[in-house]
Amino acid sequence: MNYIENIFICLTAPLIISVLCLRGKGRRQMLFVILGMLSSLLSAYVSTFIAGAQGADLLSASMEISPLVEELMKIFPVVFYVLVFEAGREEITDSIMMIAIGFATFENAYYMTQSDSMGLIHLLIRGFGTGAMHVVCGYIIAIGLLRLWDKEWLRVAGTIALLAVAISYHGIFNILVSQTGVAAFIGYVIPVFTTVLNLGFRSKIISK
Amino acid sequence: MIEITENALQLLCAVYCVLISIRHSDNLQKRSWTMLALASGGFFLGDLYWQLYLVFYHDTPHYSYIPYLSWYASYLFLLLLIFEIREEHTPKVRNPFLWLIPAFTSGMCIFYLQWGDWIGNISAAVLMSFLMWYAAKGVMLSLKYEEYKKYLFFYILILAFCLLEYSSWTISIFWMGDTFLNPYFWSDTMLSITFLFFPMALRKAVEE
Repeated sequence: MNYIENIFICLTAPLIISVLCLRGKGRRQMLFVILGMLSSLLSAYVSTFIAGAQGADLLSASMEISPLVEELMKIFPVVFYVLVFEAGREEITDSIMMIAIGFATFENAYYMTQSDSMGLIHLLIRGFGTGAMHVVCGYIIAIGLLRLWDKEWLRVAGTIALLAVAISYHGIFNILVSQTGVAAFIGYVIPVFTTVLNLGFRSKIISK
Repeated sequence: MIEITENALQLLCAVYCVLISIRHSDNLQKRSWTMLALASGGFFLGDLYWQLYLVFYHDTPHYSYIPYLSWYASYLFLLLLIFEIREEHTPKVRNPFLWLIPAFTSGMCIFYLQWGDWIGNISAAVLMSFLMWYAAKGVMLSLKYEEYKKYLFFYILILAFCLLEYSSWTISIFWMGDTFLNPYFWSDTMLSITFLFFPMALRKAVEE
């Protein structure tokens, strides 16, 4: 039996120590990785609660409830950071990416300990696919914050809309990977492809 | 089968709009085109989620927050697009007939509340009210002043989009089955076709 809390403690304990040792930007980024993992843990609790309250089975919960809860939980630490520390755009973008990375790492670790032994290829596809999906969802929101709107109220409205887009992207990924065969493979490949495409255009998009 | 085919047509129309808008957005430099890409992209993702659910489970989503969120995001991006193309020091338009819009959307919202949930219906009504309000104001402005005539097609298209959405929602309540005689498919197909004209209308509005 693998308890999700055990995995969380095992993964975050060394990271928490590193936060104490690190300074400046590195410390902040590590803190957001831990917050990403914490968001993943809390998402599991909240999704389970909502699924139970609505009488949803495991499959429906993973396709229809989890994407919504997970993307919302990922954005909460950023909202707190923006409101309390009045962070700049670049810092917000970095924090979104670090949270996404922490979230994906914890989710992958939990998934792999829960499942029986799988082939190396499946693990690689699953690991990179999920990791890329969370990074893409983070990137969707980061791009909007960084580039699209100057006025504060437009940025708030736009970020909410981009969050909804990220939730849909996540939902589509979950539907596809819950299938078998080609559909699951396409599901895992889409975020990897999006990430590679994004890397190609990144410099043009980021540079203003 | 007809629903799946009709959804596929809508996906194609939306993806056409996304691709044309991305091509014109010049790496997100032209915000109006980026907003159109996001609006059609949001709509596309909502449709894709719905379509995948239909194809894999032969059913519509039970806890259908995700596609609706995506469609609402699309309306929000269209609203942001209107704000983006609106010129500074635009003459104010006051017309008592504009108040028919919130009256219409509120009435429809109350009607839909008999079947749907509160939050979703009220969110849709608020977004549609703003969208139709600014689009109708844009039409009046374009008809009144010669220099704003270039926006006329764009604003009419937004109004048509909103009215076709309302028409599809209303007809879908009285579902007449998966047959060509069901007017829902005709209304939704016309809605899909508006996506083919959005790039043309925006080009006329911002590049003439």
